[in-house]
Amino acid sequence: MKNSQRSFVQRVWDAKWLYIAIIIPLSLLIIFEWIPALSALFNSLYIWNGGKVHIYVGLENYENLLSDRTFRVAMQNLIFFIVFRVIMQTIFPFLAAEMIVNLRSQRWANWWKIIFVFPMVVPLILNYLIWRFIYNPQVGLLNQTLELIGLGDMAQAWLAEPSTAMIALSFVRFPWLPTLQFLIILGGLQSIPKEVHESSQIDGAGFWRRLFFIDIPMTRRQITLAMILTMIFMTQRFDLFLVMTDGGPGYSTMVPALQLYQSAFNFLEFGYASAIGVVLFVAMLGLTILNLRVSAGAVD
Amino acid sequence: MTTKQKMSQQSNRRKNWLHDLPFQTVLIFFGIVTFFPLVLVVITSLKNNTQFYQNFWLPTLPFQFENYEVAFSRIWRYILNSIIYSSSTIFLVGALSSVTGYVFARFKFPFKSVLFLGFITLVMVPSVLTLAPRFIMVRDFGLVNTPFALIIAWVSSGLVLSTWLMRSYFESLPQELFDAAYVDGASDWQVFYFVSLPLARPMVATVAMTTLIATWNDLIWPLVTITDRSTMPLAQGLMQFSSSFETEWGPLFAGYVISSIPLLLVFVVAMRQFISGLTSGAVKA
Repeated sequence: MKNSQRSFVQRVWDAKWLYIAIIIPLSLLIIFEWIPALSALFNSLYIWNGGKVHIYVGLENYENLLSDRTFRVAMQNLIFFIVFRVIMQTIFPFLAAEMIVNLRSQRWANWWKIIFVFPMVVPLILNYLIWRFIYNPQVGLLNQTLELIGLGDMAQAWLAEPSTAMIALSFVRFPWLPTLQFLIILGGLQSIPKEVHESSQIDGAGFWRRLFFIDIPMTRRQITLAMILTMIFMTQRFDLFLVMTDGGPGYSTMVPALQLYQSAFNFLEFGYASAIGVVLFVAMLGLTILNLRVSAGAVD
Repeated sequence: MTTKQKMSQQSNRRKNWLHDLPFQTVLIFFGIVTFFPLVLVVITSLKNNTQFYQNFWLPTLPFQFENYEVAFSRIWRYILNSIIYSSSTIFLVGALSSVTGYVFARFKFPFKSVLFLGFITLVMVPSVLTLAPRFIMVRDFGLVNTPFALIIAWVSSGLVLSTWLMRSYFESLPQELFDAAYVDGASDWQVFYFVSLPLARPMVATVAMTTLIATWNDLIWPLVTITDRSTMPLAQGLMQFSSSFETEWGPLFAGYVISSIPLLLVFVVAMRQFISGLTSGAVKA
């Protein structure tokens, strides 16, 4: 009440300590998040080498993107990769989680959860390096296994062949129990009230009916969230591609985010890179808004 | 307990075990496929190249423990760097986000909603969009090849989600708690530091864990800003390390094992926070 009688300037003055308390985070975000984001929008209209060369070209970068063959291949690769990974990274974690909630032994259910989270301790990059070894043409685990089971003829240089490289990358980290998605789906399954399962058992529903008529419908939100998260991760993360093939052979494993990285840091085309960034940003905006809506209810 | 009861308990256990069998089988399959490559890495880390080419699959004697010495001498610096960078980032993100979250949760002041929007809107900005311009910014500040390039950038991107998490947590605390503290004559700072912050420990742990995983695994930003070997964090160092050992599989894999130990220790000590920290990362990708 006192507040409303005071003048605006006075109210600002009274809150001076509050502003001081948030000034450091606020300036960090302005300098390292807001300005770069706005600069990307702005510079996508320029030819810019990151230094003195800075020429306004309007929408030319975007027009060039439309006719850029590399970008088209990159987009196709990305779509293939996303579809493949979204399907696999939802089915497998769901399957594992479904098995865990079906266990009668509570102790084992806990253990399995811990066991499947455990691989997180391995640095992410290390997984890629290990998979590079798995695909190694001479001594790789995959070719060795094929030889062991008598399919030695199928052994090949998985990452060096344009025809197999993209498939090989899609299989990296098989069997795809991504921790986050796994935990989200498991949480959803575990939050289904026990009474629902008990009464379905009394009605004589077995494992399959429980799966299709209770568990899947009741974890819709979590499954959707897991799928959106996979899409968001896959669109913006390119360390997998950078570490394993660097987009090659040729452009057979190029993705847009990697092309952005190469344009900026290999070819110093910061304007063009910014245009790719803006396209990815727009593509992801819808996904992120969807994510915020779904995750509000789906995580604990 | 009568014999009869004991027997029925036993048969119950057997029934449960039989019931679980098909589910356990599937889980064991997943477990084997997930862990087999990791186990092979550990096995190979104890071999020299002759042993490796003679027997690919099984451990062979004698174990080559000196692989670990060789690997450690080349990788310890990266691990140490990462520990320093990640813990400074965690400390700064924790301190700044708890204060800021508290201010946004418990006070009314002019421009509050605009300022909060300035934080929260950034959840929608993907890191690929800001990558190149942010590099220009850091370069122009002369921070390239210094730890500050990493820490400052990691702190600012970490703040976005953390501030949001902290604010929601402080908002959920009951008003009576604060009233009681103020009646006892506590100042704003005392209420924050001695009353609210201790209550927010689970959320602080979550923020710490999320930040740890994000900074520990970031490869792209170091690749862009760091070229000096002695400044590289682990993720980037591992790239250097792996190319310097090209076909010496034993020491190479020994280094891989060593580099997994720090997070392994965190996992063993703080498993619960580790797991809950992961799920809250769902809000921001």
